[in-house]
Amino acid sequence: MEFFRKTLDPIIALAAIAVLDIFMFLLMGAWTVGGGETMMTGLMAQAVLGDELNRIPFWSVVFPPHADYWKIYISLGMLFGAFVGAVASKEFYWRVPRHLSEWVLITIGGLLMGFGIRLAYICNVSTFFGLMPEMNLGGYLAMSGIIAGAWVGSLIYKKLLEGDV
Amino acid sequence: MTPVVECLVAFLFGSVAGLLMQRSRFCNTAALRDAIMFKTYRNTKAMLVAMMILTIGFTGFMSVGAGHPLQFDVGLNTFAGLFLFGIGMVLAGACTVSTWVKAGEGNIGALWALIFTFVGMFLFSLVWSASWWPPAPQTMTGQINAPALQLGFANAQTLQGKLGVPAIVFGLAQTAFLALLYRGILRREAAQHAEHEKHQKEHQKKKAAKAASVAA
Repeated sequence: MEFFRKTLDPIIALAAIAVLDIFMFLLMGAWTVGGGETMMTGLMAQAVLGDELNRIPFWSVVFPPHADYWKIYISLGMLFGAFVGAVASKEFYWRVPRHLSEWVLITIGGLLMGFGIRLAYICNVSTFFGLMPEMNLGGYLAMSGIIAGAWVGSLIYKKLLEGDV
Repeated sequence: MTPVVECLVAFLFGSVAGLLMQRSRFCNTAALRDAIMFKTYRNTKAMLVAMMILTIGFTGFMSVGAGHPLQFDVGLNTFAGLFLFGIGMVLAGACTVSTWVKAGEGNIGALWALIFTFVGMFLFSLVWSASWWPPAPQTMTGQINAPALQLGFANAQTLQGKLGVPAIVFGLAQTAFLALLYRGILRREAAQHAEHEKHQKEHQKKKAAKAASVAA
């Protein structure tokens, strides 16, 4: 099938996702990532810690773990859809970062993303495709934050590429 | 809708979105990073198009009170959280969406980023349990709360309620602004293209002159 042979124009892909996102907005709420991951974190922590988790109020006050939280399934769906797309277009193969520096950067990056999402109550998807189109005040705060962060991140990255650090 | 149906709809939406992003190599991180670092706008343009469609769609439905807009108070934490996120996504080379998509393509680095996103969230849960800031959803008031550094809640619908102007009017204004940004990018791309052509022509001329001098 042509779809699995050629790279799709991202404008077409995102326009299609936007139309579907409008249906999501009408049914349940706009496309969001972060809430699902938090719930997964809570469920995993519960599996490991059991009742001990009650000693951390966040998990009873802000995010009591529930497996039937719909946002979890958006993320699992993205993993599944990408896997199907990669296999069908023969683009699936194991890719492993080669250098220790890459592993370190990914680890720090992941930690910052997880911490940042929870501090803000939202992630970048909700910023671009939820809060901003709803013209929520938080969208403009988040947008300024992420642009400033990406700028600082790019500066750090450039320095690292140039070997200054 | 029952929770099971909600989960099924979410999975279906996620699957289609994941497939489309995998096939188009769209990445939110690249949309910002490439524009800042490399002055290339392939992903930025796609993001802007989606934002224009969504702004009209969401504010249109919000004008008649339909849809489920996000509802929580925002404040300093919204800016600070996304600032940390912005640094993190550039360092990790992917945001939360592309980590799932790349993990689906067999990228172990993306899976590693995802695991540490979970760890970061758990660390935050410990910090929150000590500070109780930002305010829990139950204690949000929707109003300005200066001691908690919160600005409250406002969106196109609350504007409509306050000013009596339909939400779609604000939506159209925002879309026009986004369209101007998009046009600016197209112009910049055209200028980059012209510059590139000019360099190539000069290079060819030099090559031809060199060949002519050798022949002579």
